[in-house]
Parts: sequence; C-alpha cells; structure tokens
Amino acid sequence: MTDPVYFIAIPLLTAFLLPLFGKIYKPLIGIIPGLVFAFTAYISFDLYFNLEPGKPVIVQMAGWAPPWGINLVFGEFSGLIVSLITFLAFLVWVYSYNFKKVGFDNSKKYFTLLMLMVAGSIGVVLTGDIFNMFVFLEITAISSYGLTAFYKGRDSAEAAFKFLLIGSLSSTFILLAILLLYKQTGTLNMAEIAIKSQAIDPKIKSIIAILFFVGFGIEAEMFPLNGWVPDAYSQAPGPVAASFASILAKSGIYALIRVFYTVLDVEGIFNLLLTAGLLTIIFAEFTAMRQTRLRRMLAYSSIGQMGLIMVAFSFNTKAGVFAGLFLMFNHAVIKTLLFLASGFLTYSTKQKKIRDLDGFGKIMPFTSLMFGLGAFAIVGLPPFSGFWGKLNMLTATADSNLYLVIALILVVAVVEIIYYFKVIGRLYFRERHEDVNIQKPTWNAVLAMSILALVIIGVGLYPDFITDYLAKATNELFDKAGYIKHVLPSLSLN
Amino acid sequence: MQAFLTYSIYGTALFLMLLGLYAVLMKKNLIKIVIGLSVADSGLHLLFVAVGYINGGTAPIFSPAVAGTGTVMTDPVPQALVLTAIVIGFGVTAVALALVVRLYRKHNTTNIDEIKNLKW
Repeated sequence: MTDPVYFIAIPLLTAFLLPLFGKIYKPLIGIIPGLVFAFTAYISFDLYFNLEPGKPVIVQMAGWAPPWGINLVFGEFSGLIVSLITFLAFLVWVYSYNFKKVGFDNSKKYFTLLMLMVAGSIGVVLTGDIFNMFVFLEITAISSYGLTAFYKGRDSAEAAFKFLLIGSLSSTFILLAILLLYKQTGTLNMAEIAIKSQAIDPKIKSIIAILFFVGFGIEAEMFPLNGWVPDAYSQAPGPVAASFASILAKSGIYALIRVFYTVLDVEGIFNLLLTAGLLTIIFAEFTAMRQTRLRRMLAYSSIGQMGLIMVAFSFNTKAGVFAGLFLMFNHAVIKTLLFLASGFLTYSTKQKKIRDLDGFGKIMPFTSLMFGLGAFAIVGLPPFSGFWGKLNMLTATADSNLYLVIALILVVAVVEIIYYFKVIGRLYFRERHEDVNIQKPTWNAVLAMSILALVIIGVGLYPDFITDYLAKATNELFDKAGYIKHVLPSLSLN
Repeated sequence: MQAFLTYSIYGTALFLMLLGLYAVLMKKNLIKIVIGLSVADSGLHLLFVAVGYINGGTAPIFSPAVAGTGTVMTDPVPQALVLTAIVIGFGVTAVALALVVRLYRKHNTTNIDEIKNLKW
C-alpha cells in the first residue's frame, strides 16, 4: 500500500532539487519532472483502483493521531481528484517538455514552479486539517503567480500582480475564517470541526461561511471574483493556462465543496452557491461571445464551465454532485486539450486574435482538428464526453425542479455553440491570409493532445468507464458520518 | 483595566486590517498597495495572538520548573499558526515587490492608473 504522503512529498522535494540536477546534466531539468509526474500518476491510480470500498486511506503525519496531528485522507472522492490532477500534470509535462522558446534557465524555473503548483493542489485535496489546507492553497497560489509572470515580453507582470492582489486578499479572508472557527471550536481538524460546528452560534457560522465562500471562490473562478482569470490565462504560457484550468481551479472548487459538504453545514449556503454559479455562467458566456482573442475567449468559457459546476454542486443532491463531478472531469480534460491546441494555433500570430486563424484548418490540420474536437466536446455534442456531463446536469436540474435553470443552461449552450463555431468556421471555411508563418506541433505535443482526444472520445462512447467511480465518489462525499468515523475512530457524530 | 486592554488589542487588530484594506483598494501607488497588503496581514496576525492569549498565562514551553505547579499557559496553537502565516505573508510580499520591479521597468511608473495594457 502506497503512503498518500508521497503525492505531496515527491513533487515538493524534487521541485527544490531540480536546479541541482541541472548542474549535473542539463537535460535532466526536462526529464526529472516527467519521471516525477509519471510516478505520482502511477501510484495514485494504483492506490485509487485498489481502494477498499468505503475505507479511505488515512495517514497521520509525524505520529500524532488526529485531532492533534495533521492527517491526510485519500478516499474515493479525494482520490479521484488526485488521480485526475496527477494524470493531467503528466500530460502538461509531455506537452511542454521541450518547448523551444525559453531555453535552459527558464525551463528550470518553469518546471520548479509547475511542480510546486501540482504539489500544493494535491495537498489541498488530500489534507484533513483546515490550516494545512490554507498553507497548501498558498503554495499553489504563490507558484501560480510566478507561472503567470513567466514570459517577460508580454504584459504578464500586470496579470500576475492583479492575480496576486486578489489572491492575497482571498487568503486573508480564509485565514480570518480559520481563526474564527478555531476560536469557536478549539480545533483545526476538519472531522472534529464537523462534529463541533453544530454548536456554533448560527450568526457566527454564517460569517465564517461567507469568508470561506469568498476566499475559495477566487480560486474557483466565481463571479465577481474572477477578474484575474482572463488576464492570467491569456498572459501565461499555453500549458500553464491549461494547468490553471485543470489543476488550480479544480483544487479551489474541491476546497469549496469539502468545506460546505463536510466541515460546516450552514443554512442557505447552497442557495448562495446557486446564485453565484448562475451569475458566473451568465456573465462569462456572454462576455466570451464578445472576445476577439482566442485565449481570452477560452478563459471566459472556462469561467462559465466552473459556474456550471458550482450550480451542479449547489443542488445538494446525489444526482447534482454526480453531474458536478462529471462536469469537473470534462472541464479538466477538454479545456486542457483546447488550451494546448490553442497554444500552437496562436504560436506565431502576434495579436493572438481569432481572425488571424483564417484557413488554419488546411495548413495546421492536426492542431485544428484537435481544437475542433475539443470545441465539439465542450459544447456537449455526442459522441464526446461533454455530452454525458451536460445530460447528467440537465437530469439533475430536473430532479431538483429548477426548470428556469434548465432553460438557462440550454440558452447558454447555444451561446457556447455560437462562439466556438465562430472559431471553427474561421479555421475551416475561410481563405487564409497571405503572410502567415506557422509552427508545426512538436511530436510530444501531438502525443499529449492525442491522449486527451482519446480520453474524450473513449468516455463519450463508453461513459460506464468512469460513472462507477464518480458514483462512488458521490457516495463518499455524502457520507459525512463515515468520514468522521474513519478520521476519528474514538469520536462519533451525535 | 483588563477588559480595556483586551478590547483595545482587538480594536487595534481590526483597525489595522481595515487600514490595510483601505490602502489596497484606494491607493494608486503599487508600493503602497503592497504595504497595504502587509499591514492587513499584520492586523490578522495580531488578532491570532490575541485570541490565543489566556489571562495570566506564561509562555507555552513545557519544562520541569512549571510541571505540576498549576501554572496557566497561553494557547500555543495560534502562535504556531501565526509563525506560519508570517512566513507566507513574507513570501507573498517578496513576490509582489518583484512584480512591482518588473512593472516599473516596463512602464517606468508605479502609478496603477498608467498601467492599463490589460483591462482592469
């Protein structure tokens, strides 16, 4: 049995050792992160598939039993997210391992920061201690500020500074919430807080909930806290934008769900989440339609997807959580493919505008095909995996009797079709401009995109591949008493 | 007197946090914004330590001299948390200042109103 602490410890340790490896032999800078990501992906899949049903793997750090020590919980829900994160981190490495623009010195910084971000995100998902979650969230946040500011030529410092301002305000809110929670319950262990939080004065509890909501909402790209998203996504390198969508946003939404489903049960918080999610969808999709730059359009589309995920989780029903998890999976895989493909489509265009892409379907057939496939999948056309996510979302909404929300989701799907097909139309049905020079995708980028496309088509044709795992994760999330019982065998929920 | 002290500490902490937030939201100079972030953090740290204080408590260090004497100790957990939070705050401030340096080199100004290549 693998110890879940390796998922955090190995990337964290290697991130800081990477410059030393570079001193020994320069190509190691590119190879070592790949080995690390491949290994963590392998052990997380191994542990996840061999998990005994209803029995999460729990580790106590430094020999102190919970609630005093920090514990890591690798259950069916957190394990699913960790496996997804490690798998996508590996693909991001495959894509970016020899991108030529940056050279040796910069790729050292890039991979160090990328590994720190992955380690932090995995930590957020695994930890069972609320303060520890804050620390991992900060590791993730600080490394993503660095990644945003990676290219010196662009306006990346401006995007990163904006991200930093919002991010550090969010961490102040989270820290204040943790302080209030500690003052009220006298513990930091999430399972013990879950027991004791029932006795907290509802007024104070709602203050704590709002602080957490705002703090995590910033990472989860919630309206109106998502001003950083379009700038960070458009200024960061392509694979970084992909990993923000698939890794950073996933850990943000995980923290939000974990806190509101397991740790605190606050009256009305799900209505707030529903409202915020709906506003996020409306704002993002209609802004995406007006964008002239490809990256910004994808960023707004990503915000819209996250809004849909929030709506799905706000139903507080099993069908809703199942649909939300399916949408999370889809968003992680498909958005990564779209960002990776867009990285090569806009590689040699200066403005990164959509209208620069006229006729690229003929000169860059593979990348355009991949982009088209991703676009078809994300708007929810069969036979791609996006279809099943949207279908489950609609049935879950119908189960909760929210018919106006169904109407909204369908309207938004039409809006999505409009702006994605605008790009596809330019790719395939326009004459190309005279003076375009293109960048052929490297073989490793082709490999990464093909794997993602295969996953999208495979899950689209046989959704049973993952529905079992998603259903198990859903059950685990709702089994609050079971979570507490496993973490703290001596206490139980009254 | 004791109550006054307690409330004045809470009041100071709150005041510092609001002051920092004010600076972040209202000031135009990038350096001042970073200082504001740092001040808001300090207020929060003060609040942490104040919450962990127990009247008449000593430093939470366990030694043979205090064992069994019934001495009251302050709560060590918030102090440990504050240490971590200070380090994180330091890291964030360092990154923020590095970004300010890059922005200054590119735009030759630290006024936030003149740095508008992206939509704010």
